[in-house]
Amino acid sequence: MPTKNLLNYSYYPGCSLHASAKEYDESTKGVFRALRIGLKEVPDWFCCGATPAHNVDELLSLSLCAKNLSLADNVEGDLAVACAACFSRLKTTQHKLAENDIKRKQVEIAIDGAISLEKPVKHLLEILAKDYGLDRLADAVKKPLTGLKVATYYGCLLTRPPEVPELDCVEAPTIMENVIAATGAEPVAWSHRLECCGANFTLSRPGVVLNLSNEILASAKRAGADCIMVACPLCHGNLDIRQREIEEANGTRYDMPVFYMTQLLGLAVGVPAGKLGLESMIVNPLPLLREKQLL
Amino acid sequence: MSRIGVFVCHCGENISRTVDVERVAAEIGKLPGVALATDYKYMCSDPGQGLLKKAIAEHRLDGLVVAACSPRMHEKTFRNAAKAAGLNPFLCEMANIREHCSWVHEDREEATAKAIDIVRLMVERVKKDKALQPITVPITKRALVIGGGIAGIQAALDIADCGHQVLLVEREPSIGGHMAQLSETFPTLDCSQCIMTPKMVDVANHPNITLHTWSEIENVDGYIGNFQVTIRKKARSVDMDKCTGCGVCMAKCPQKKIKSTFDRGLGTRPAIYVPFPQAVPNTPVIDRENCTYFKSGKCGVCAKVCGPGAVDYDQQDELITEPVGAIVVATGFELYTINEKPKGSPIKGYGEFGHGTIPDVIDGMTFERLASASGPTGGKILRPSDGREPKQVVFVQCVGSRAREKGISYCSKVCCMYTAKHTMLYKHKVHDGQAYVFFMDARTPGKSYDEFWRRAVEEEEAVYIRGMVSRLYQKGDKIVVMGSDISVGVQVEIEADLVVLATAVQPRQGADALAQKLGISYDTYNFYSEAHAKLKPVECATAGIYLAGACQGPKDIPDTVSQASAAAAKVMTLFSRDQLEREPIVARVNERNCVACFYCKKVCPYGAVEEKEIRDRQGNLVRVVAYVNPGVCGGCGTCQATCPSKSVELEGYTDEQVMAMIEAL
Repeated sequence: MPTKNLLNYSYYPGCSLHASAKEYDESTKGVFRALRIGLKEVPDWFCCGATPAHNVDELLSLSLCAKNLSLADNVEGDLAVACAACFSRLKTTQHKLAENDIKRKQVEIAIDGAISLEKPVKHLLEILAKDYGLDRLADAVKKPLTGLKVATYYGCLLTRPPEVPELDCVEAPTIMENVIAATGAEPVAWSHRLECCGANFTLSRPGVVLNLSNEILASAKRAGADCIMVACPLCHGNLDIRQREIEEANGTRYDMPVFYMTQLLGLAVGVPAGKLGLESMIVNPLPLLREKQLL
Repeated sequence: MSRIGVFVCHCGENISRTVDVERVAAEIGKLPGVALATDYKYMCSDPGQGLLKKAIAEHRLDGLVVAACSPRMHEKTFRNAAKAAGLNPFLCEMANIREHCSWVHEDREEATAKAIDIVRLMVERVKKDKALQPITVPITKRALVIGGGIAGIQAALDIADCGHQVLLVEREPSIGGHMAQLSETFPTLDCSQCIMTPKMVDVANHPNITLHTWSEIENVDGYIGNFQVTIRKKARSVDMDKCTGCGVCMAKCPQKKIKSTFDRGLGTRPAIYVPFPQAVPNTPVIDRENCTYFKSGKCGVCAKVCGPGAVDYDQQDELITEPVGAIVVATGFELYTINEKPKGSPIKGYGEFGHGTIPDVIDGMTFERLASASGPTGGKILRPSDGREPKQVVFVQCVGSRAREKGISYCSKVCCMYTAKHTMLYKHKVHDGQAYVFFMDARTPGKSYDEFWRRAVEEEEAVYIRGMVSRLYQKGDKIVVMGSDISVGVQVEIEADLVVLATAVQPRQGADALAQKLGISYDTYNFYSEAHAKLKPVECATAGIYLAGACQGPKDIPDTVSQASAAAAKVMTLFSRDQLEREPIVARVNERNCVACFYCKKVCPYGAVEEKEIRDRQGNLVRVVAYVNPGVCGGCGTCQATCPSKSVELEGYTDEQVMAMIEAL
């Protein structure tokens, strides 16, 4: 049966997108459907190991990713990844195994199978900006996000580590700005788009997160942003879920909605607002969206 | 039968450690045509050379093989010894059994066998060597100096003072280079302009110096003593003979908002301009890209107000060709451009430092203009963004330098000292201000240099923090500098009013293109290469071309001036002779066999092959053949390898000789 899709990808959602970041998964599927980009989930995928695995056992971390990569071979199309941590881990694994024969052998024994490193791993941003193209994306916009000032937040992992083939320039990337600008929104120039939010210290040492994420929110506010756009479930958790706590700890008030990039893109390309998971955000975005007449 | 003498050198232990030199001599002594084969501890020493001279007379030798080191090391030594003993020097050859044998092998048996082979081949070659006479070429005693910065000025003045004519070519409208832009100079803090501008005037007034500003080198032909240089004199749009330098045109030009390159974009200039008030020559040039007349055909104010009628909108570029005997290359440097990736360069720039987006993040040269009494602020340290006096200034060293990941692994050499100077200048002008410096190492070798640096730290209270800066960002009207202090292992954040980046020194854009015109070599960064890092630091490998200043590598003013004077001395050494002797290892054409295909002409890298007409006695053209100009030929042998009719051969490396060597193997 001929496909009507313009592009087709295999899809690795990662654990968060089936749990705390369901709205990222939902909005990603919505946007891709609207853009006629096919996503076929990799059957039987499991956790990439995220930060904990590679902190305690490199072999474990590499093996988890290698197994997932070999599973991905069962589905056609480059591998689309939404979560910044999954993306960084999968790319790092490809990189490390390609250049180290000993590690490669060890992992082969661990996963009891051949390793396949050929399939390109692509973050959603790369698919939208490069494969689909900014021009086509701009053409697909039905409701321009005119007047919405967006602080595009990369966090640590989207462009790092630098030796791994990069999504964009490590220190001065522009890919998020380019994507959101295609919808008519206005990306603001701000200072903390590459700083760390505190990541998974959110459970072990929340004080660190309260500090670091506060700096990020303060910087976005300073730059005049209406909202923050993220592409990582962990960043979202720290900036959105912990925002009230951060405000209390610092005696300040931000009221800064934190969107997944696909939620904003979804609004622009005409995905019904009810299918973007906006209701599960802790900082209520509806007043802002109404004020900007985007609902 | 030949009577060849073979001398095998021990080179101390360098050769004899792995090669049984006595056995080599004994084996070679058995060859037909070898009258004498012997060994000695140091052939290059005075007794060694004496041995060789004595043997020539005693054994009536007609050829020599010295089995020792590379001919690059001592061929000249032994040929001179042969000459002194009455033997044509080109009948003396070296067999390299050190670099090609003893240094690269461990097995004594095998190395000895190989050494015997090497020497045997050379014996066969010498048997067919011909006595050659050196070629003499005339010298044009006139020098070309490329670049009018302090290096070019110093070299030009030295050569001219010695009584020789000098052509000084400068790309910009005025000579002076970077030194004219500086405020004060380390380690004495004397004013750069005060020591520079008198030298510029000396150049302009010198009867032996012809100055071509706003000019570039178009083409270079020829060889040592006999270069032909084509210079492009770019259209200035002002007649240099008529212009009096009154400056009315500049005052009346309605276009005044053009950013001044000389002031690093801090100040503005009109479309008809001299780069700075003390410019030499003091003749303006029209910036045709920004001039209203050239853009739209309207205006013409400068022509109307010019009393002597010097403004000439129709002026065209002019090409002039000049003969010179020696060339000094002094094209200088430029600063690493942050945030820009220069064309064809692998170097990516420090986007995280916000240079170009945060107005108060500037580079070292821009700070020089802020501190200069003739600069856009009259020497007051004021922030470019709002004109306020900065109370906290952060200096960051090694931006680009010593950063392998950014493509530059070398140290730029001047930044430690000029940053120390900047902290002092700042303190002298803003007494309640505080300077911070992020540095990797303080590199201050040089006379009075370390004392100067310590003065910055101890007396002028600059705070030095060992560590690098990770990034800078604007916060309100402050710039937050995030860095590390590795001596105590903590992260540092400073809220600064102004940040000065000590950016790397790199060669001029287009340095490679000029090198290709000149036929000189350059390194991966495009710095020009000297012939020998220690013993020929100002000569290029190409004869007759010399280097001065930062085009050869990062250098401060004292080093630049020393090197410029050294280059001038080399030029004067060359000019002290009337004729130049060249080695006769050149290609010769057998005119009888030449089929005039001129493949040799196509492949010759020196442009030495000409077309020669052969005429009969009545003057009728019989045929055309190739001719190799012995003055230009570099002796590479490419023509010999290319010639389909085997009609061109390199003296000393003829086919017959090479075949004989192969047969002996």
